[in-house]
Parts: sequence; structure tokens; C-alpha cells
Amino acid sequence: MPSVLPLLGISGWTQALKEEYIERLDEQGCVYLERILSETGRMGQLIDDLLMLFRVSEAEMVREEVDISELVEGVVDRLGKIGQGRQVELSIQPGLKAIGGRYLLEILLSNLLENAWKFARGRSPACIEFGQTVIDEEPVFFTRDNGVGFDMQCPGKLFGAFQRLHVNSEFLGTGIGLSIVQHIVHHHNGRVWADAAVDRGATFYFTIQEET
Amino acid sequence: MSSKIILLAEGNVSDIELTRRALSKSHITNELVVVEDGQEALDYLFGTGEQVDWKKSPLPTLVLLDLKLPKIDGLEVLRRIRQIPRTRRLPIVILTSSREEQDVAESYGLGANSYIRKTVDFSQFVNSIKQLGLYWLVINEPPPPPRG
Repeated sequence: MPSVLPLLGISGWTQALKEEYIERLDEQGCVYLERILSETGRMGQLIDDLLMLFRVSEAEMVREEVDISELVEGVVDRLGKIGQGRQVELSIQPGLKAIGGRYLLEILLSNLLENAWKFARGRSPACIEFGQTVIDEEPVFFTRDNGVGFDMQCPGKLFGAFQRLHVNSEFLGTGIGLSIVQHIVHHHNGRVWADAAVDRGATFYFTIQEET
Repeated sequence: MSSKIILLAEGNVSDIELTRRALSKSHITNELVVVEDGQEALDYLFGTGEQVDWKKSPLPTLVLLDLKLPKIDGLEVLRRIRQIPRTRRLPIVILTSSREEQDVAESYGLGANSYIRKTVDFSQFVNSIKQLGLYWLVINEPPPPPRG
């Protein structure tokens, strides 16, 4: 699917306006320009996420044994490089494996861990845990953080596209990440659910079925 | 360095002007020749167009090629450029908003020298233009001119 983005134009010309006509704008005018710029950035993120969702739902999957712990290490390593100087206590259970699509599982883990990373912001230290447990005799993967959590009153909505449980000014995001997660888990005939409370962190559980 | 021409093949007027702006912000003062569709790009490079005099249109040092060009798309332009001895070694940088993995793979497959994704953020775009200008116009040793 081709994505031709007029967004570069919008941000570029807004920037041009800001640079060359700033003296003719009053303070309020400058605020409006900043808003156009930041909204354009959000639109770009949204388009990227939607493209990802589209690709995930179209993806053909080659099932293979995937080293889940290694993927988690990779994602966390990348997040660590972006969020320099952040104090994060990580606990990743080694040696976890699953049968599934490597590419899709990596996207799934990225989304869950990015969420944990994002919502544990402001905790000192932030704690993020990844592991596997057994619930009702079934192996279940989980990510757990000690972040702001959320209210479990409408858990069904959690995985819906564009659904956001936090106001935008607190945590940036497009509300598509968990839809992507759900798509991928369903692709693997698994289930995904969450357990959380306001200000007491969140845990996301998911299962991966080896057979279709 | 100013005798080195940059050919920009880009169908969108806004993007043409933004690229011009980014070049000037990066203090890249080379002559910029703009063509707005794939046919025009080939006419310029092959000297086949009505307005184009082969002798008066020296080969550019660098081609910035968008993939979504009207008339003949960028990948086809690239394919034809690589078929002709005169333009076979011409440095071609794909400059596009396409994020398709397939476009990246095909571009390299057809002999693109570099692939730059246009970002949403204009200052990042300026930075990309600055770096690619520096690299292709100053640091890189260009291919020897074609014979004949």
C-alpha cells in the first residue's frame, strides 16, 4: 500500500511560516502554529501505526521456534538506547521459547514493552518484568510494570483501536498498539488479557498456541 | 562544487519547493534541475525531449528520484536509467515517502545507490538533505564520465 504523505508539506510550510513570519504573529498565533506542528507529528505516528496494523492483519506467518527471551532482550535494549538515563529495573526470564511467527511476535513484544516503558515513566525506579507463568495448567507469558496502571472497569475496550485510557497530554500514543497486540495473539490462536489498578501498575498476559 | 547539477524528479509541487528550501537551508547552492514526471526525467537524462538539447544538458552529479512519479513511475525510470550506458553509473538516491519494504528492495534491486524515507518532521528532512548533499556532492568520488 503506497503511503504518500502530505504531512511533510504541512509540517514544512508551518515551519516556514514560523521562521519567516513570526514577528507578524502575536503570542496566541505562535501557540496555534506549535499546535499544528505537534498534531502533524501525531498524525504521522497514527499513519505509521495504522500501516503496522494493516500489515499485521495481512501478514502470512511462517511458524518456527522463536526465542522469546532473546526478542525481549532486543526490544528492551532498543528502548534503553532511546530513553537514555532512565532508571529501569528489568527482570527478564531467560530461555523462554514459543512456536510462532518471529516478525509478528517481535511486534507484539515491542508494543507491550513500549507500553510498560511508557506508563512506568516517573517511577523511580521503574520496574519491568517479563516472564512465563502457569494459569489453569496453561503456560502464559506476561509483562508487568509498576507504572500508573489503569481502571479495570472497562477492560473490553482496552484492545479496541483508538481506545485510550489516559489523556494525551500525560502519555503520548495513538491507541492502536494494543489492537496490534490483540491481532497478533489471535493470529496465534491465543488469548490476551490484562490486570491492573490505578497507580498500581499493569500486567498483560498472553498465550500462544503451538497448533492452528 | 557549484558546477555539479542535482536533478530532482518529484511530482508534487509542495515537495519540490520543500526540497529547494531544505537545500538552501543546508547551504547547498548547486544548480537544481526539476522534472515533474518520469517522462521528463528520462527526456532530460537521455536528451530525448523536444526542449532538451543533449549538449546543453550535462549529466547531473546526483539524481533525487521520487517513486510516485506521474506518467512513468520512479522504479521504471530507474530501470531504464540503468539500461543505458550513458546513465548506468549515475548516482541515484531514492527520496520518497513510501514506507513499503518492497519498494526498498526493488529500488536496490534495480540499482539505486541509496534510499531515503521522507519524514514527517521538516527539520529531520532538512538534516537528511544536508547529509546526503554533503556525502554525494563532496565526499563521494563520482563515477568517471561516460564515453561517447
